This record gives sequence, C-alpha cells and structure tokens, in this order.
Amino acid sequence: MGIKCFEELTAGMILASDLKASDGRLLFKAGTEIEARHIELLKRVGVAEVDVEAGACELSDGMLLEIEDYVRDFFLYVNPDSEPVVEMFRISLALTGDAVARGWCLPDIIQRRASNVEHMEDLFLKGMGSPETIVMHEAELASFPDIYFRIKEVLEDDSASATRIAKVVSTDMSLAAKLIKLVNSPLYGFPQTIDSISRAVALIGAKELSTLALGISAINYFKDIPPELVDMKKFWRHSITCGLLAKILATTQTGLSPERFFIAGLLHDVGRLIMFKKLPYASTEAMLFARENSIPLVEAERSTMDFCHTDISRPLLEAWKFPEGLSNMINFHHNPMEFPNPLEPAIIHLADNLTNAMEIAQGGMYVLPGVDEQAWEILGIQADPVLRDAVEQCQEQIDTILGAFF
Amino acid sequence: MGSLFSSSISLRKSVRISDDEFLLLRDFIYEKSGIFVDVKRKYLFESRFSKHLGELGLSSFSDYIKYLKFDVKKAEELPRLFELVTTNETSFCRDLRQLDVFKVNVLDEILNEQRKAGKLELNIWSAGCSSGEEPYTLAILLHESLKRELPLWKIKITAVDLSRTMIEQAQKGVYGEYAFKTTSDDIRKKYFTKESEGWKVKPEVQKLVHFQQMNLNDSQSLKKVARSHIVFCRNVVIYFDEAMKKKVVGSFYDNLLPGGYLMLGHSETLHKISQAFKPLYHPGSIAYKKQG
Repeated sequence: MGIKCFEELTAGMILASDLKASDGRLLFKAGTEIEARHIELLKRVGVAEVDVEAGACELSDGMLLEIEDYVRDFFLYVNPDSEPVVEMFRISLALTGDAVARGWCLPDIIQRRASNVEHMEDLFLKGMGSPETIVMHEAELASFPDIYFRIKEVLEDDSASATRIAKVVSTDMSLAAKLIKLVNSPLYGFPQTIDSISRAVALIGAKELSTLALGISAINYFKDIPPELVDMKKFWRHSITCGLLAKILATTQTGLSPERFFIAGLLHDVGRLIMFKKLPYASTEAMLFARENSIPLVEAERSTMDFCHTDISRPLLEAWKFPEGLSNMINFHHNPMEFPNPLEPAIIHLADNLTNAMEIAQGGMYVLPGVDEQAWEILGIQADPVLRDAVEQCQEQIDTILGAFF
Repeated sequence: MGSLFSSSISLRKSVRISDDEFLLLRDFIYEKSGIFVDVKRKYLFESRFSKHLGELGLSSFSDYIKYLKFDVKKAEELPRLFELVTTNETSFCRDLRQLDVFKVNVLDEILNEQRKAGKLELNIWSAGCSSGEEPYTLAILLHESLKRELPLWKIKITAVDLSRTMIEQAQKGVYGEYAFKTTSDDIRKKYFTKESEGWKVKPEVQKLVHFQQMNLNDSQSLKKVARSHIVFCRNVVIYFDEAMKKKVVGSFYDNLLPGGYLMLGHSETLHKISQAFKPLYHPGSIAYKKQG
C-alpha cells in the first residue's frame, strides 16, 4: 500500500491513483497494472514516486486468514451453497482485504457490541403495542412535512404542468437544492449540468422528479433519533447504498423504470426508524440479541418484539399514503415471494443483502439475512459478474450521491 | 475488482446437514434442554457444530446424532452440546430500569414483610445466571439495601445455568471491563478487587450466592431448589417454545412462596403463557406477582 519510490516499482503492481507527470499531464489512470515497458517510460519521464495498491504479498498469511474468519462470521446464517451468497462472500473478501491493505483495522469484539442505552425508555412495554398502535401514536404526535403532501397532490394529478411541479418543489429550498445535486449526480448521468428544477422536470419527467422529492422529504422527517442508539449517517449510508444498488440491479430486468428502485431502497428500513423512536430500549435488545446469536436483525426483532420493521413500515406507509408500488417493495423486501408480483421487492431484497456484504469491509454489525432462492431464480441473473459489476458501479457513484444528502 | 483471495474460494467449510438430520438434532436438543431451534437457523447449526464434529472424528450429522444417543461418552457430550446452543453474553446491572423497579417495588416490599413477620430470611433464585453477573448484581443490591442489617439476615441466592463452563466461570467471579459497562465506578470499587486477570468479586458478595449447573427442562432437579421469595429469569425463556415456557413458568410458580415475584427479561412476557401471576406494570418493567 501507499507511495513507492521509483526503484521499488515492479511489474504487476497496480496504480492506486492517477499517475501524472510533473507538468500535470496524465500518464496512467488509477487501476493500471504496471508492466515492464511502463517502468521504462516512467524512468524516461523522471517520475520519482508512484502510488500503488497493496498486493497480496503485503498482507501476511496470518492476516489473510484473520480477514477470512472475520468475513465468514457474517455469512454464518446463510446457505453456503447459494450462488448469489457465495459471490457476495467473495466480494466481501475482496473489499475487506483491500480495506485492511489500505490500513483499516478489523473491529475487535468490543467494538462489535452494542452501546449502552440504559437511560432510554420505551413508550410501549412488551406485549402492549402492536405495530398499528405504535404507528398511530407516531402519526398523531408529529405531522408529516406539508411539502410531502403538496408534492403527492401534483404527483397524482395527471394534468399538472411541469411548471407547477417545479414551483411546488422549489418552495422548499433545501429540498430543491438536494434534488439539483441528485439529478446532477451519476444517479442520472446527464452529460450537461442541470441548474434548475424546471430543467430537471423537463429532463427526467414530472413523475420521476416528484417521486424523488417524496423520498427526500420523507428522510427529513427523521431527525430526532437518539445518536447513541444508531449512527444516523451510517443508517442513511446503508439506505442510499441499497437504493443505488437496487437501481443498478433493476437495469438487468426489462420493463422496469430503475429510478423508482432508488427511492424504495432509500426507504426500505424506514420501519426501523419508528422502532428507534418509540422502542429505543427494545430496539437495542434486538440488536444485542442479533449479535449474540449470529442471526440477522430482522429475525432478532421478531424474537424480541414479536414483529419486525416491515410490520411497522406497512401501516406507516399507509398512513403517509405512500405510492403503493413503492410501499410493496419496501414492505416485502425480506420476503419478496409473499407478494403476488415478487420481481420488484426481489430486487430490493437482493440489493439489501449486497449492501450488507459491502458493509462488512466498513465494520458492519449483522450477519447477512440471506437471499431467497425463488426470488433469485425469478431475477434470472448470473451472480458472476452481475453482482461484482453492480458493486463496482456503486463504488464509483456512491460518494457523489451521498454528497447530495449530507 | 481485484482480490487478495482466490476467486474460487468457497463459503462452505462444514459438513452438510440434511433436513432430516436437522429435525432429529433439533428434537434431541428440545427434549434435553427445552431449547427450540427454528429451521431458519439450519446453516448456523452446520457451521457451529462442524468444528466440533471434526474434533470427535465424525464425518456426518447422522453419526453425531448416533453418538449423542448411544455412545459410551454420551453423558459427557451433553454439556458440550448445550454450550453450542446457548449464548452467554451479559453484564453487571444489565437493564438498570428494571433493577430500579425491582428494588423499589419488589425487594423493599418483601424485606418489610419479612421484618414484620420476624423472619429475617430471603431466598432468591436466579435461573439462567450465565457467568454470574445477575446473581452477583442482586447480592450487591442486597448489600446496598440492608447495609449493616445484612449480617442479621439469612440470605441465599441460588444461581443455576445449563452450561457447566458458565457455572465454573461464575464461581471464579473474575470479570473483564466489558462486564462493567453499566456499573458505576463506586460500586465496582466497593465490591470488587483488582487482580491481574480482571476484577474479582469480594467474598462478602460471593458468599450470598450458590451456583449449580441445572437444566430447566429437568423438573426433578427444579423441585430441589429451596422455595423462593423472588425468581429472576431473564433472557432465557426467549429460547423456549410455548410448551416449554409454560412448563418452566409452572415450576417457578410452584417454587415461589405465596406473594412471591417473578422477574423476566425486557423482551419477555407471560402474556399467553400463564395467568397465575398478576402483572404489575411499572415504567420500564413488569413484575409478576404470584396469585393464590
């Protein structure tokens, strides 16, 4: 890892960043594998230092075994013969190996335990609150942002003009700013800069833009979650990554509009946020139970609370009158086959697993929930190379997209 | 994406368990311990047991099940099996709000009643005590409550766990930093002494607690536990199915003295399990009082 002086350079090393000459001219792009003839050229140009990626040789065998054990722990719960799962395991190994080679330390056992939330109190005792009553309590207390309903209104009005939509969205400055950043991000990949909402509406369509605005205004609603309970930045990072992967994976299917999948992925765990708000202590118990027993969080929720976050998202999205198609993707992301038309939720299901696999290299906490075999068959994709390609695309785009949110 | 690992590395490391083998093993575990293992945890089982099968020189789960049932060493294997199906993470003063509810609404009441009756006696049963943090926490709570009055009392905390290893660890009474994550420094300094291996619980706390390996599915040995004023059973029944929950809660009922209390873990409830207890709702916790 890191900077090598010219003398240390050998064929087979990979450039970690773009290599430029002293006059700023690009010599080789990041990712280029150095060959003997490159070394000759660099010598002629007079390059003194080169930033190269870590090679296997720089991590000891012991370290590689440690990484493998660490990654394996996240796959304890899932079918070790499942095609997508095995591919996810290999992706996690590659990412974690890379992270460690770049100086990331594997989290120790204490870092992998839940933090103390002894001072927090649940609003409902065990057995006293059903998902419906919990959501009702939430809906009565806090009203959803007004802008959300105004956007929804235009969204449902087929005759609404582009100018009217642009006008409604523009009334919320911070929302409009986020939207502009997002439509300029790789999520859409337009070659030219889009500098106004009305231009965005014209390019990506009224329905599309309104849906995006709807999702973003929903995020704004969850600002008061206790930070010691859950790192909200991490939570949204997980959600945005899942959204991006879902969008990328949706392109493998014909006849789907991929952008909707970004929003569904973005909000797939929204039920969990209500749990954090209403049942902070029980939520922590669920997190502890998940880690103690090496089971996915969704299973731990069912064991400790008798319901899980999708049981909460169902009445919640209904109360918000969220578009049904999106709601179904969110509500069935853990059990896509229970929905009559499983294709769309199956994509979120796969993206959620893949996000978890990616997060292992960032200090993820929970075992993978696993990919439903039937759901995987329906998607009809080849794990290799589709999943790896999706992860690579995601890595290239994620920072810009996160930048639009934070 | 380059990788430092072989592109054909496989995830499977363990012996495969067939559906039939899983059901046999699960029934065996249930019969012996009352712990119910959901079929969703099949793969978790494969990987957890696989290393152990290798140690025993067995190449399939069928062979392991035969070993458990018929081998001359089967009695020795049972505790090992239990270790593999239970988890044992806990800490001192876990769930402070519940402990507070317990002290104010349960313990003080019982202590006062005993004083009134002129019987300075208290029996507490900690069922599923893991490595001892819970019973020691209760012993400390009693020291804090009774203070100088304590020597006048006859106190016995019976602490049991399915795992022999956990009981041995509890008897040693030495704990690392993690066990104290919710304990104040004052309490730690007052009741523990620093040793090279960690913090050791002081004799005056330790002598109140009696540890014993016990299987909650074994009704006969449960009957031998001295009758209690209070039963603590936290984060245990969550591993049982409804029938086993009913059975164990029934044993607690029989063991409790009239008016005694049962305390469960935060995520556990007697709802649908028993109506022989009156739930007393307090902010943060429910105390179950024996009726009749």
